Amino acid sequence: MRRALLCLATLGAIATKAAYGQSAGALPKGLPDWSGAWVMQGPTVFDPATVQPPNGRAGDPGVREFPPYNDEWEALYKRHIDLIRQGTFPDPISTCGTPHGFPRMMNVPDVYEFAVTPEKVVILAENGPNILRIYTDGRTHPAKEDLWPTYNGSSVGHWEGDTLVFDTISMKGWSGKDVILDRTGLVLSDASRVTTRLRRLDETTMEAQMIVTDPKALKAPWPVTKRYRRQPAGTWGWDYACAENNRNPISDSGRTLTLGPDGKPIDKVVK
Amino acid sequence: MKWMPVVRAFAAVGSLLVVQPLLAHHSAAMFDDTKVIELKGAVKELQWSNPHIWLQLVVEEKGAAHEWSIEGGSPNTLSRRGWRSTTFKPGDEVTVRVNPMKDGTTAGLFVGAKFVDGKTLGRWE
Repeated sequence: MRRALLCLATLGAIATKAAYGQSAGALPKGLPDWSGAWVMQGPTVFDPATVQPPNGRAGDPGVREFPPYNDEWEALYKRHIDLIRQGTFPDPISTCGTPHGFPRMMNVPDVYEFAVTPEKVVILAENGPNILRIYTDGRTHPAKEDLWPTYNGSSVGHWEGDTLVFDTISMKGWSGKDVILDRTGLVLSDASRVTTRLRRLDETTMEAQMIVTDPKALKAPWPVTKRYRRQPAGTWGWDYACAENNRNPISDSGRTLTLGPDGKPIDKVVK
Repeated sequence: MKWMPVVRAFAAVGSLLVVQPLLAHHSAAMFDDTKVIELKGAVKELQWSNPHIWLQLVVEEKGAAHEWSIEGGSPNTLSRRGWRSTTFKPGDEVTVRVNPMKDGTTAGLFVGAKFVDGKTLGRWE
């Protein structure tokens, strides 16, 4: 009887493994330790290496970067920069209805967490919030007919030593709304693709080297590097419910409003 | 209870041109970061909520009470910088420095605060 039960249990475990993949348990040896909380270094300009003026802040009038745009998308970027000068290029996330989308989610403030598992790596960006799932179990991207444009697209990757190399496609891109890369007005098309090499440089530094290609918008591959600094042990990440108390909605004309505690625009002026 | 009116605008130079709190969720274009004004008043409420905290401050000026809405970062970020949901309690007397709205309305972006016991918060130099 006892032997029969043991046999059944073993068969059950084999069946479970077949149905759900590798069994749960300890991480396989060799996967890196990316635990802890991390914060992006530098301002929220997507490509700080090319921003002008140097150290310019996203959202300030006239601040821009220099991706290898073709003429059409350079002209579009310049129109966005003009709208920012006029205060009528709203950040899509100000509606509190959508995530930032990839690759912008690698360019946000607040805490990042990197959850490494045998099957996938999950990047959690507290701000937004944003979640990027990078499957590392050997799968390829879904077939074209099974994909549709989403904010974070589809990511598959593999390990090269301690470096996670992953490929991201099927992002929504700019369609006149929805997704931007930062508040300078930087955008990509729905044909964009990003290859990312994510690795831990040292005890306190994580680095994401991204190569962006976009046959609709870019004349050449665009390399962008972001770095993240590890926070003190025990740092908490928290809930970020953007719609909880959004007093900065977008007006019909594209201006970012400031509402009073009663939910109405503040109109009192004190000289 | 009487409160000092809006006190003074500082020149847009030197240490008062501070690094703004991260406005992770919207453009800061509505605020004039070349100016810092000082408000002395009574805390009505601290809205400790995402995506931004809001300090509601009642300031008396020329015999009239005005409620100011002062925007800060997210509670997530601020909690990691030592703020708590009880940092400002209703009735607290406090002096607050803000980057004012460009349109002159009674709102601003939090720069720093000084409490009656002399403790300060944010940038106060």
